Amino acid sequence: MQSTETEFLVPTSVSEALESISKEDAIFLGGGTSTALLYKTRLIEPSRVVWLGNVGELKGIFASDGEVKIGSMTTAAEIAANRDIARLLPGVCTASGVIGNARVRAMATLGGALAHADPRQDMPPALIAVGAEVSVKSSLSTRRIPLAEFYEGFLETVLDPDELITEVTIPLVANRRSAYIRYTPTSEGDYPTVGAGSSVTFGSDGKIIEAASVVLCGVGSVPIISNQASQLLVGTTGDDAALRRAAEAVREIVEPQDDERGSAAYKREMASIFAFRSLKSCLGS
Amino acid sequence: MSERRIDAVAKATGAAKYTADVVLEGTTFAAVKRSDLPSALIEEIDISPAKEVDGVLGVFTAKDLPGGANLYGRRVFDVPILADGRVRRVGDPIAAVVATSREIAEAAAELIEVTYKELTTVATAREAIQPDSPLIHDRPWEYAGAVVTPDSGRNIQSVDSHGSREAAESALRNAVHVIDETYFTPGDHQGYIEPQACIADYHADGSLNVWNTNKSPYRLRDVLSSVFGLDPKKVEIMPTVLGGDFGGKGSPGDAPLCTALSILVGRPVKMVLRYSDDLLSTDGRHSSEIRVRLGIDASGKLVGGIAEALLDGGAYAGFKPVNTVNLHGIVDAAIAYRIPEFFVESKIVYTNNQPKGHMRAPGSPQAAFAFESALDELGRRSGIGPIKIRELNLLSDGDVNPYGSVWLEYRGKEVLSLAMSQPKSVDVPEGWLHGEGVAIYARSMAAVPKTSLRLRRGENGKVIAEVPIPENGAGGQTVVREMIRTGLGISADKIEVNQVSTSLLPTDAGVGGSRVSLGVTVAVANAIKLWKEMPADQEVVEITTDEGSDGPSGAYSAQLARVAVDPMTGQLKVLELISAVDVAEIVNPKAHQMQIDGGAVMGFGFAVMEDLLEEGGQPWALSMGEFKLPNVADIPKLTTALLRGGKGVGPNNIKAVGELTNCPTGAAIANAVEDATGVRIRRLPIRAETIYWGMKEGSAK
Amino acid sequence: MKINFSLNGKGTELDVDPMSLALDVIRGLSLTGTKEGCGVGVCGACTIMVNGAPVSSCICLVGTLVDKDVWTIEGLAEKMPELIDSFVENEGMQCGICTPGQIVAAASIDSAGVSTSEEIRKYMAGNLCRCTGYQTIVSAVEDHLAVN
Repeated sequence: MQSTETEFLVPTSVSEALESISKEDAIFLGGGTSTALLYKTRLIEPSRVVWLGNVGELKGIFASDGEVKIGSMTTAAEIAANRDIARLLPGVCTASGVIGNARVRAMATLGGALAHADPRQDMPPALIAVGAEVSVKSSLSTRRIPLAEFYEGFLETVLDPDELITEVTIPLVANRRSAYIRYTPTSEGDYPTVGAGSSVTFGSDGKIIEAASVVLCGVGSVPIISNQASQLLVGTTGDDAALRRAAEAVREIVEPQDDERGSAAYKREMASIFAFRSLKSCLGS
Repeated sequence: MSERRIDAVAKATGAAKYTADVVLEGTTFAAVKRSDLPSALIEEIDISPAKEVDGVLGVFTAKDLPGGANLYGRRVFDVPILADGRVRRVGDPIAAVVATSREIAEAAAELIEVTYKELTTVATAREAIQPDSPLIHDRPWEYAGAVVTPDSGRNIQSVDSHGSREAAESALRNAVHVIDETYFTPGDHQGYIEPQACIADYHADGSLNVWNTNKSPYRLRDVLSSVFGLDPKKVEIMPTVLGGDFGGKGSPGDAPLCTALSILVGRPVKMVLRYSDDLLSTDGRHSSEIRVRLGIDASGKLVGGIAEALLDGGAYAGFKPVNTVNLHGIVDAAIAYRIPEFFVESKIVYTNNQPKGHMRAPGSPQAAFAFESALDELGRRSGIGPIKIRELNLLSDGDVNPYGSVWLEYRGKEVLSLAMSQPKSVDVPEGWLHGEGVAIYARSMAAVPKTSLRLRRGENGKVIAEVPIPENGAGGQTVVREMIRTGLGISADKIEVNQVSTSLLPTDAGVGGSRVSLGVTVAVANAIKLWKEMPADQEVVEITTDEGSDGPSGAYSAQLARVAVDPMTGQLKVLELISAVDVAEIVNPKAHQMQIDGGAVMGFGFAVMEDLLEEGGQPWALSMGEFKLPNVADIPKLTTALLRGGKGVGPNNIKAVGELTNCPTGAAIANAVEDATGVRIRRLPIRAETIYWGMKEGSAK
Repeated sequence: MKINFSLNGKGTELDVDPMSLALDVIRGLSLTGTKEGCGVGVCGACTIMVNGAPVSSCICLVGTLVDKDVWTIEGLAEKMPELIDSFVENEGMQCGICTPGQIVAAASIDSAGVSTSEEIRKYMAGNLCRCTGYQTIVSAVEDHLAVN
C-alpha cells in the first residue's frame, strides 16, 4: 500500500520523457527489475514513474565502422544475442549473457543497469574495458561521460535526477581484443565474487601492445580500473610474465569487503587471478 | 501412460490449488510486526499508527489473545503466538494487523513502534551452555511437554544419548589409532518454494476451518483445539496441496495466530508469508558442532567411539515433534557399523537464533557428515585407507548393531561396492585436481505409523479412495492409486484419490520420516482385502491401522563423489554423484527415482551452498538472492545404481527412500576434496576459499 | 489507470494501479497457476511470458505490460498442450509449486539458440526446483524441443 497512487507515465519519445521527469520525486523506469523490488519493499516511494518501454528511439544496437551504439532500453538478452556484439565486443557479449537468469536478462535494460550502479554487476567492467561512453540528456543539456568516470560510489552515479541515459557508445579500435570472465564459486545464479573485463590493443605490427585495460567488479564500491596494469602491459608482447605483472598490480588497488562471496583477502587474490585469466582470454589462449 | 502420477495434469496446467490459492468470501489478511532484536524486553508497543490506516480492521498484541492462550508447539509448548513482554530472536511476532488486503496489513504492520530494552544476545550454542550465559527461558521445565528439569543445565532444550561413556572412553584408551576431530554444519532452511500460508475461519458456533501449509493435519487439529480450548470435533483441517515440505511443514506454522485473529475479528483471516519472513521465522535445520572420536585396533577394526553433538535449537524447542525433543539422526550416527563400545550424546540448546525443527532426515545430514568424515580421516591417517576401513567395520548379517538390534539384513558393504563399481563418465577439466570420496548412510525403518483410509464406490465402476494426508510431492497419493490399480485389477482412470478433511477420517500420523509409503501401503492393503470381500450392496470400507512395527530393518545408501578442484582458486566442481541405493520392491519407479535425485541435490546444496548465515543472533541470508539453492546448471551429474533384492517391510515389501540420499553427500564431497587436494574440510558448506587457503597452508609446510 | 494488453490471447483492459505487481494482478484474476515463491525474481515460480520472453511477475510492475502479449500457464496449457504432455509424461514435477514456472520458461525457449542439454540447463537455471533433482524436468524440456 502506498499512500497515494503513483503517477505512471508512458512517453513515446525522449523529449516527452525528459519533460515528464521535471516533477520532484519522479524517476525513470527501464526494465524495472531493481525498481520494482525497491518499490515493493517500500524503499522508494516515487510520486511519478516515467516508464521508457515505449520510447522506440532508446532501443537497438547499431554497429558502424568506427563505433557500436547501444540504446539504453536495449535488454541484456538482446545484447547477448546480437551478432555484431558477439563479433566486435566479445567481452560485452559474455557479460550480458551471464547476468542473473533468463528472466532478468529479458527484462533488465542497459541504461537501467548502469544507473542502478551495483558494483557487483557484470556489464560495467566489460564496457569500461572497451572505452564505453554514456550519452546523457536532460531537458536543458546533453553530455557524454566516459563510463570509467560514471560511478561515484555504491549505487551512486554522476547522474542528476532529471538526466536520462540515452545510449552507450563503444569505439571500435583496430587490433583490439576484449574479454570478460566471472567467478561464481558457489552458484552460477549468484553475483560474481569477482568479475574481470579486459582489453588489449596491439600496434600495427600486431605484436606489441599499444593500449590495455583491466576492470573488475565485486571488489570495491565501484568498478575498479587498474591503470597500472594497463601501463605494465603497454610495450610488451602480452607474454605470460607481462600478464602476471599486470595481474599483480590489480591486487594492490582493489578494495574488497568480507561477505558471503568471500573474505576481502580471498577476493584480492581472486581479482589478480581473474585479471590474468581475462587477459589471457583476450589474447586468445 | 495411465500410470503417470495422479496429480501430474493438475500441477502442469496450474489447476492444482495450494493454500495461498484458496479464496474465501469475506477473507481478511494478516501481517505481523516482528522483532528487530534477537534478545530484548518489550517496554512499549505503539500500535496506534497502524490502527489509523484505512482498511485496517484490528491490531492485536499478546494481551488481546482470546482466552489468554499464547503458547503452542508440536511437543513442548514454549512458542508464543505473540511475544509476551520479551523477544528471544529476530523475527519474533510482536503484534498482528488484520486488514482488508495483504498490502495494507503489511504496510500498517511496519508503522507499529516497539520500544525495547536490549538484553545480552546468546548467539551460539557454545555460548548458551557457559555457566554465566543469560537464560533464554527462565523456567523452561514449566512448559507443557518439557523434557528438561531444573537440574538439566543452562539453556538445555533436550539431551538424548545412547551407550556408556565410561566403556567407550576405556575402549578408546586401548585403541591403536584414534581420530578426534570436531565438525560443524550451518543452520539451513528446507527451501520449499511455496512459502508457508494459512487461512483460519472461525465461526460463532465454535467451529473452525483451517487451510494450512501443513503435512500433519490431525496433529494440527489437536494442537489448535488444545491451545484454544476448542472441541476437536469442531476443528476441521481442510485438504490442500503442499508446495514442498522436507520437514518444514510439520509445524503448526501460523495456524495458531490466524485462528486467534479469526476469533478476534469474526472473519476468515489469511496470511501468506513473504519468503524473506519464511527464511526468518519458520523451523529449519539445526546447526551443529559434533566432536567424533573413533578408535581402531591394529587390524583396523573399530573398538570404540564417542560422538558428542551440540546443536543450536534456537529460541524455542516447540518445533521438534518427537518425545525426546531431540533428533534421532544424531543418536543413530553409528547405525551402519560394528562398534563394540559406542557412546553418543545429542545436546540441543536454546539460543537467540531462529528456532529449528525437522528437515529431511532430522539430525542425519549433520551426524553423517561428522561420522563419515571422521571415519574417512581415520582410514587415511592410519594407513588402512578410507574404503578398507569401511569394509572392515560395516555390519554383516547376524551382527548386533550399536543400538542392540539385529536387522533382517545389512547391506552396507553391498551398496559401497556397487557405488564403487559404477562407470565414471565426466571428464576432469584440464589442469584441475581430481578426487573421489565415499560415504555411507543407513536408517532404521521399523515403525509403521497409524493412519486411516476409506474406499468408496463411485459412479461407472469408479473406486474413490479418501486419504487423510496431503500430497507433499513425494507421491503418496499415486502409491495409493497404484496399489488399488494392481490390487483390484482396474484401470487407473477408474480410480480417484482424494484427501479429505480431518472431520472425515479418524486419524493419521502425518507425512514424514520416509514412512508415507509404508503406513499407506498397510492401510491400502487391508482396505483392498475388505473391498474384495464386501457384499454387493455395501458402498464403503474404512480402515484404521494402529502404530506398529515391522522388521527390524533398515535401508542403506552409499554415495561416491567425484570432484575437481582448480588448484589456482580452490574452486570446487562436483563432477558426479553416484548413489547406490538399497531397495526391495518399488511401487512407483519414477517417484522413487525422483526421491533419490532430489535427495542427492539437496545433499549437494547442504554440502557446498546452503547457509542461513546466522551471526550475532541475526540470520543474514534473508532472500533467495543470498540463500542459494542448487539450480539445474549448478548440480553434478547424478548416477543411481539400485541394489535390488532387499528384504523390505509391509505388504508391498518396500524400503524407505526419501531420506537416503541427502545424508551422506556432505561427507562424500569433503572426503573427495581431501583426496584431490590434501585439504580436510570440517565445516559445511564447503567454500572454495577454505580449500584455497588450505592448499596454500599445505604447500607452505 | 486503464491498462490494455493481451492476456492469454485475449485483449484485456484492466483498471489497476500501474505500480502493482503483475503477479498480484494476474492472481487476482483467478489465474492462480502463477505462484508466488521467493518474491525477488530468483526462484521462477511466478514466471509469465511477455512478448515471448520469460519474466518474473513478482518484480514486474503491471504498468510495463501496456500493449504487451502476456501468457500465463493457464493460457499456455491450452495453446501448447504438447508441452504440458511432455511434462506429464516425464513426470517433470513432484510438489508442483515450481511446475507452472518451469513450463512457462520452457515455452519461451527459442529452439534456434537452445537445444543441447547444456544449453537447456543454462536457460532453465533460473527456475528452481527443490523436489525432483531436475532430471525429469530436463527430460521434459528435451522431449519438447526434440519434437518441435
